Amino acid sequence: MTDLLANLGLGFAVALSLQNVTLCFLGCLVGTLIGVLPGVGPIATIAMLLPITFGLDPVGALIMLAGIYYGAQYGGSTTAILVNIPGEATSVVTTLDGHQMARQGRAGVALGIAAIGSFFAGTVATLLIAALGAPLTRLALIFGPAEYFALMVMGLAFAVVLAHGSVLKAVAMILVGILLAAVGTDLETGQERMTFGLVFLTDGVDFSVLAMGLFGVAEILRNLDQTETREIARARIGRLLPSLADLRQAAPSALRGTAIGSILGILPGNGAVLGPFASYTIEKRLARDPSRFGRGAIEGVAGPESANNAGAQTAFIPLLTLGIPPNAVMALMVGAMTIHGIVPGPGVMTKNPNLFWGMIASMWIGNLMLLVINLPLVGIWVRLLKVPYRLMFPAILMFCSIGIYSINSLPTDVMLIAAFGVFGYGLIKFGFEPAPLLLGFVLGKLMEEYLRRALTLSRGDALVFLERPVSAVLFLVAFTILAAALLPSLRRSRDEVFTEA
Amino acid sequence: MSDASDGVRRTRSIVPAPQSFVAGIALVLLGMFGIWAASDLPRGTLGSMGPGMLPHWVAIGVAICGGVLALTGLVREGAGLQTFGLRGPVTVVLAILAFAVTIRPVSLGPVAGPGLGLIVAGPLAVIIGGYATPEARFRELLILALLLTAGCMMLFGDLLNLPIPIFPTVLIEAASGTIPSRVMLRLGAGALALAGLGLLAMQRRSTHRGRIDVAPHTMSI
Repeated sequence: MTDLLANLGLGFAVALSLQNVTLCFLGCLVGTLIGVLPGVGPIATIAMLLPITFGLDPVGALIMLAGIYYGAQYGGSTTAILVNIPGEATSVVTTLDGHQMARQGRAGVALGIAAIGSFFAGTVATLLIAALGAPLTRLALIFGPAEYFALMVMGLAFAVVLAHGSVLKAVAMILVGILLAAVGTDLETGQERMTFGLVFLTDGVDFSVLAMGLFGVAEILRNLDQTETREIARARIGRLLPSLADLRQAAPSALRGTAIGSILGILPGNGAVLGPFASYTIEKRLARDPSRFGRGAIEGVAGPESANNAGAQTAFIPLLTLGIPPNAVMALMVGAMTIHGIVPGPGVMTKNPNLFWGMIASMWIGNLMLLVINLPLVGIWVRLLKVPYRLMFPAILMFCSIGIYSINSLPTDVMLIAAFGVFGYGLIKFGFEPAPLLLGFVLGKLMEEYLRRALTLSRGDALVFLERPVSAVLFLVAFTILAAALLPSLRRSRDEVFTEA
Repeated sequence: MSDASDGVRRTRSIVPAPQSFVAGIALVLLGMFGIWAASDLPRGTLGSMGPGMLPHWVAIGVAICGGVLALTGLVREGAGLQTFGLRGPVTVVLAILAFAVTIRPVSLGPVAGPGLGLIVAGPLAVIIGGYATPEARFRELLILALLLTAGCMMLFGDLLNLPIPIFPTVLIEAASGTIPSRVMLRLGAGALALAGLGLLAMQRRSTHRGRIDVAPHTMSI
């Protein structure tokens, strides 16, 4: 306990330096901005801004990038409530009751409760990261290659179960991702794989190029297809602070949402997206009068909004302690860390305590800032929504091109984002989700490395994964959830979670 | 990627779930392509895996997934094929390509790009890309392009010092020694910003005010 306090003290000392506070604020501001704007997500933004962080020191860079990610969770709810369009994938459920509240003239209260719930969840998640950091790091040190491989298999299994739609399609996407990751020079033998003699493929496909194509360009193409009218809530926003009765009604939901979001966030496989759905379903089940949901129930805003923010932050846990990115944003963080020569994993905490604790402390500071950025300034964000998409996407296009070009100074990278953009557009059109592909791509390289190492150590005996207890348990969990997802009864309730909301 | 024009095919077709079926076939092809691409790599043994081992088996996995998906598409009722916009993808790809070949000297086989720098590549990407939607208006895009490029030149070139070419190589060579590059950058950005603001002011005056509010509720997202 005293250790924890001392560590947090160190963290705050780092995070409160003028430079880091400024960077944290910038990150939160950019995060809110892209959160508010539908059509720009944190993945594309962080990929775009990676080159900017080259010149910063690693702590500041990561503080800023983290701020963008959780800041987007706050911003997304503003659009969801006022315009009935999710600003982010994680705020889809908020549109249901949040926008209804806005129609009833309680937009301010909905915004207020979303921000307060998010802040509460952020605080809890920050403490959770701080508390779980040390024990998980110790756990990671006893992990061998077999355990790491098993852990990643489990993560991918979760990703399949947590993805929307067909299980089979999600599995296929992960495999395609792993296959893409194999392109380029083989690390162990130095042999070129599937490069077809193309020079720009020698180093493999750059992760940010793939992410930008699949999430930046493909998203633009998808948005161009649909013409949707935006209806900004005409009614006044009204008072922002919820009344005591509102708070009392929302508090249990926020608590449950935080718990659900935190747990799903830690699990590899993009829990931040599922968290709000799960929370909404549970709130509706628990409610005395479920028919209120969809008609402006405050619980339907408090729960999911707490869940998405908690999940966005606890997602840092596997990255910082085990070195395994649980979702695409964390994979970009790996990129940002390796650029600065930091190897994500158990070593971060012992070798770079400044970075580890500074980042954690900055999250709490960032959440506090977001409360200020979001509530009083909500008028500015609403104005932003008036920028028509026909002007927004050319700007995004240009930023994407500049951002990708400046990472490696390669025009071929820029061309590749166009190719992956069209590929991603095709995926969307055929009902595939790009997120599992990206996760497969990220984990693919790591998995192959650990698989090789584990099998070399066991002299080719594949049973090693079942003989070591920890890896056996992890495999068991992976197969159980996969099997469960395929069972008809469970599949129905899984579909329900997504469709009901 | 067929049938771009005739809408969602809800009509009775031979296949109950065309989307799954076509997607499955595409995955099978992709898997087979992967198997072929990795076929010349040594696979090694489990004890010492060669570079071809993982790609080979993963590609087989992709093909199997595709096969099962295609089969379910034949058996179970499901979603039809979705329409594909053509204008969007083609224009956006052109815009990105225009940026890629003009940002710095590129040689694509016998053809060599001129290397025009951000000051040309940026506006090109914005203006070409803008035409991805039928709502595009040239003057509006021109103003956006000028202002955005000026902003990006200051942000990426001056403030962040990223190694991104700003001006055409010819111009840089001509000006080298006479004007410091940073001064030139600021002058260029200033000129663009002024031009953009000038156009904006002209447009404001000619269409009175309320220009921004012309179509605030028909925004496509």
